[in-house]
Amino acid sequence: MLGEPKIWLTALGLTAGVGMIVFLLGLILVNGVSVLWPKPVIQFKHAPDGAILAGELRKHQVRRDSASGNIIEEHLVFIGNKDATGSAFRYIDAHAITETTEPKDILVAERMEYGDSIFYPVSVKSPDGKVIPATDAGFFPALHGYIKEGNDRRSDIADIEKNDIGEINKRMTRLTLDEKGGRITPEQSTASRAELQKEYETLAAKAKALRDQQHLATLTYRLADGTERSQAVSEIIHVDAPNALSWFGKLGLFLRNAWALVSEEPREANTEGGIFPAIFGTFVMTILMSALVTPFGVIAAIYLREYAKQGFLVRAVRICVNNLAGVPSIVFGVFGVGFFVYLVGGTIDEWFFSDSLPTPTFGTGGILWASFTLALLTLPVIIVASEEALTAVPRGVREAALACGASKWQSIQRIVLPSALPGILTGVILSMARGAGEVAPLMLVGVVKLAPSLPLDFEFPFVHAERKFMHLGFHIYDLGFQSPDSEAAKPMVFATTLLLILLVLVLNLSAILLRNHIRKKYAGGTF
Amino acid sequence: MPQAGPQSSKPVPERFVASRATLRLDALMSWVIRVGGIGVVVAVLGILVFILVEILPLFASADVAQKDQAAVSTNTAKLLGSDEAARMPFVFEGGRELKFIDIATKSVTTVPLPIPEGVQVTASSLAAPKNRITLGLSDGRIGSVRIGYSADGSALKPEVIAEEFQPIGTPGQPLSAAAFGDGGTSKLLAAIQGTSVHAILIKEKRSLMGKAKPEVAGSFDLTPLLAGAKPTQLLSSAVGDSVLILTDTQEIAYFALEGSELKLRQRFKPFADLPDAAIARADYIFGDVSVVISSSTGANRVFSLYNQPIPGGQGEQRMFGETKRFDDLPGAPTWFVASQRNKSFATGTADFASIRYSTTQTVRWEDTVPFSIALAALNGKNDHLLLLDTAGTLHRYAVNDPHPEAGARAFFGKLWYEGASKPDYSWQSTGGSDEFEPKLSLTPLIIGSLKGTFYALLFAVPIALLAAIYSANFLPPHVKRVVKPAMELMASLPSVVLGFLAGLWLAPLVEDRVPSIILVVLLTPLTALLCGLIWTKLKPTTRSMFRTGSEWWLLILPALAAIVGGWMLGPWVESWAFVVTDATGKSVADFRLWWPEVTGLPYDQRNSLVVGFIMGFAVIPVIFTIADDALSNVPTSLKAAAMALGATRWQVVRMVSLPIASAGIFSALMIGFGRAVGETMIVVMATGNTPIMDFNIFSGMRTLSANIAVELPEAAVHSTHYRALFLGALLLFALTFVLNTAAELLRQRLREKFKVI
Repeated sequence: MLGEPKIWLTALGLTAGVGMIVFLLGLILVNGVSVLWPKPVIQFKHAPDGAILAGELRKHQVRRDSASGNIIEEHLVFIGNKDATGSAFRYIDAHAITETTEPKDILVAERMEYGDSIFYPVSVKSPDGKVIPATDAGFFPALHGYIKEGNDRRSDIADIEKNDIGEINKRMTRLTLDEKGGRITPEQSTASRAELQKEYETLAAKAKALRDQQHLATLTYRLADGTERSQAVSEIIHVDAPNALSWFGKLGLFLRNAWALVSEEPREANTEGGIFPAIFGTFVMTILMSALVTPFGVIAAIYLREYAKQGFLVRAVRICVNNLAGVPSIVFGVFGVGFFVYLVGGTIDEWFFSDSLPTPTFGTGGILWASFTLALLTLPVIIVASEEALTAVPRGVREAALACGASKWQSIQRIVLPSALPGILTGVILSMARGAGEVAPLMLVGVVKLAPSLPLDFEFPFVHAERKFMHLGFHIYDLGFQSPDSEAAKPMVFATTLLLILLVLVLNLSAILLRNHIRKKYAGGTF
Repeated sequence: MPQAGPQSSKPVPERFVASRATLRLDALMSWVIRVGGIGVVVAVLGILVFILVEILPLFASADVAQKDQAAVSTNTAKLLGSDEAARMPFVFEGGRELKFIDIATKSVTTVPLPIPEGVQVTASSLAAPKNRITLGLSDGRIGSVRIGYSADGSALKPEVIAEEFQPIGTPGQPLSAAAFGDGGTSKLLAAIQGTSVHAILIKEKRSLMGKAKPEVAGSFDLTPLLAGAKPTQLLSSAVGDSVLILTDTQEIAYFALEGSELKLRQRFKPFADLPDAAIARADYIFGDVSVVISSSTGANRVFSLYNQPIPGGQGEQRMFGETKRFDDLPGAPTWFVASQRNKSFATGTADFASIRYSTTQTVRWEDTVPFSIALAALNGKNDHLLLLDTAGTLHRYAVNDPHPEAGARAFFGKLWYEGASKPDYSWQSTGGSDEFEPKLSLTPLIIGSLKGTFYALLFAVPIALLAAIYSANFLPPHVKRVVKPAMELMASLPSVVLGFLAGLWLAPLVEDRVPSIILVVLLTPLTALLCGLIWTKLKPTTRSMFRTGSEWWLLILPALAAIVGGWMLGPWVESWAFVVTDATGKSVADFRLWWPEVTGLPYDQRNSLVVGFIMGFAVIPVIFTIADDALSNVPTSLKAAAMALGATRWQVVRMVSLPIASAGIFSALMIGFGRAVGETMIVVMATGNTPIMDFNIFSGMRTLSANIAVELPEAAVHSTHYRALFLGALLLFALTFVLNTAAELLRQRLREKFKVI
């Protein structure tokens, strides 16, 4: 039994490794889900002055006060109502709390501005001035009705301002460029400009009319400390009573929150709303990257495996390509910014977009350059995986094809590639997982915290390869570390993290499953 | 086509001929794949070439070439100045006019100077940045004129803007040297008059209405402070906060403006160590912090202002001290001109010119010229050197030196930066003002990268290697099929997620729980060893209830208990072992205060401990996978032989598996090192990103990779800063590439070895 304790020590290594990954995934899952799950609103009564606060419990901590040296135990409570209190978070001394309750009638409203509000309803005033008190049976139907009207009008206004007026702005810019480039005379330009201005005024008037209606319905409410306030109902996105909900009711809210997260655009410096543009940006970038890297990677692998003379040189090249996978991603970012953005992009600008210089079109970071950079980064992954897959195709199969009179390309196309396809696909999926999770190089080549428009839309030419884009990974970095109120941003960071991890894990797991499947298939092969 | 029926035994040759289309496609595809394949390989290697091409200019010296010349026909020139683009330089001959030379047309324009009637100019000096000529007159007055240029179509039109003349010193006595410092609302004028030195301070009084009115706010007779030494040369800093006086005793007296008083702060002998050297000249360089002082023997030194203890007094004061020594000039320099953009200057003798850069103490360019230099000027853009020879011909040299502040010494050496009290390695690429001296030493960043890597490996290597040993030798295959992909999944966690958890979750969590961490690190392995010990004492029948390879899950509960126990016991250990007396005199148990108190090193919330732990997630799977492969490939015949000879299973591991797989394990470590050294997001998010040079576990660092991520988006294209960041990237590239190649070759050797066995 000599050395048995040491074996247990080695076992601890494995336990620790497996434990770390399980713990980390669990941590992200629990935090990410709990962010979306509705939390109870607790009403605290304070000892020294009897002040009353209501909010969601976010954190419990014990710390030593640096001035007095005393140990303080405190709760961090999200009290919302940033417009009334100035700060949405408050630390409460745990020992000073005399009473906690979970009132059923307290409401939480998600608003367009100032974050959530936590309150007791008092009354709602309809657009024509009728006041319905909260005790009235018609209160909630009326409130929800006005909120829905407000939401509809808001999307109408956004539609006018973003699409219609945005279109006019684009035409104005094009006019300026045309005039600068000498394609139209200044007189023509002035005439068209006046026309556009008129169109703009009509639209602006329409938007203003809608906007005026937004202020009509108002909600009066009372905060936990007794102050009464009122605000336009249209500022509210939705209202819920989390304490009164059943488990299924909470599940419903959870699903609504999750859907809002993946489908809405961000608000309030990205800390509220959804992350749809980031998901979309990540998706488009990854697809574009795969479309770029797969053909080149596979061709390089076929060349190295099937065409090149196997000798010292090919072996050296193979080692180089293999090692490139170990080169830090930031180095690729540096190359991307120097080569793609400034050299290639700058040249394209000089040749084709000289009108709009010095404002760069392709000479600045954008989704195309980001995809190119990540394609280079993931190229070794694809080459190595494809080469492995090609090597795994038994020699006999090739020889049989050639013996049947197939040309070299025919044998590769009809016989070798189809058998190697699952392996190649594994490489592609792995490269997508790697690309989707990379952030460091993207920070240099075109990712931004808030992109005004998506890289793909319904506007000609539909694919806007020069546009900057948002990315899930960068969103995490930006929200967690660049945002002024990191406590307020935390829920959003955890939710984004959960999504990114899910994306990467799903890609990786499918690659692993695919790989296992191939192993089984070839397990009996002779090679 | 004839039917090849069974009755026809004659072969049909057409059947065996491939169609032309097939052949053509085959040839085409061969071509496409060859071109594509070679293209991809070349493109991949092109990354290295491109980065190299980007950094090469950093190591080039200045490129200086004569462009054109123009005759001025003067042999009495006193001053030479230039416009921003060196299109229309001017010459002052000591008279009542300026000569402007249009380089393009070679024509000379004369513009009169607004000098009062009946007096002569007896002293003159030029401050290049604002093209201000300071004039000392024969009647004891001092004043200045500014030279401006306005665009006149494509040509330049010179303008002379006069300012008021002020009496200085004894009225009526001629001035032999004059200097002018312009600090915006206050101006400092100084002059030598015979053997006495005088200075006046002029302040602009701003009234509520009307224009600002200059007023003499103080006048100083500096002669007594020179203690009998005779002044020979006078210079003033460009912003007018100090005056330097060179004396015939080979001393320099430094007068600094304190409030409205001009006080003698320091007297020093710059060439005290060279007995026969006299001070030939002293000149400020850009930024007013350093003075280049040359001796009659050609010694060329830089003295800078930095805090030094006051001799015979208390406290510290900014005084001049020698910071740099350049290669000697062939003789006493007769001319000097400082750049208006950076810390470079040009100096030389009659037939020798040299451009030097102060920060890096390097000679950027030097050469002999085939004429006798009388005066020199550098234009505002710093791209032209103008040399006026004694025969009255102006030679214009194009100077191409985009990266003077770069060079091997700047990136890797210790430099004495302006204002610092000793030479140092420092990275500070951008500053608030134009006069900022970029500090581009990559050494702190390399140290930072190594520090982060070291702590990451310190944590990751034991876990990864132990896990690999266990998984390769003892884990049943069906368990391994699940466990190994799970570990590999860890490698795919995006580093931005790890960085976020490190910075926002782990760092605040462990900030005040360091004793707990220490306990956990100690207790958990002890628990495992203890479990092993207990296991050996169990009855064989009990042991046989578990299959081999069950140890790792049997350990889950004890390990958890050790972790939780250690975590809970931490505060108790802290209150017992890490007690300090805080500022209020109370004794507190707080590791965060104890560590700086005992070691003198800082304690930061975002520190190497956090980075090391989280980076472990990125490094462990890399090391584990490769080490596991190496250990699994040890031929079973060898292990079986050892077993048959009666070795225990641990002895087999230690005596057979580990030695045979050692090369593979080593290559795993190298690849793990490469992974950690280039990690970016974790470091950016989990450290304070301060470039420091220590290995304190409780402070952060700034790594090469994090530095690139943070600074490259802001760096101007093709600036020195931009290229320096590329150099950082090249270092990372080269380091990881070499390491990985070495590891790969090692692994291949290992495979060959196994083949033989």
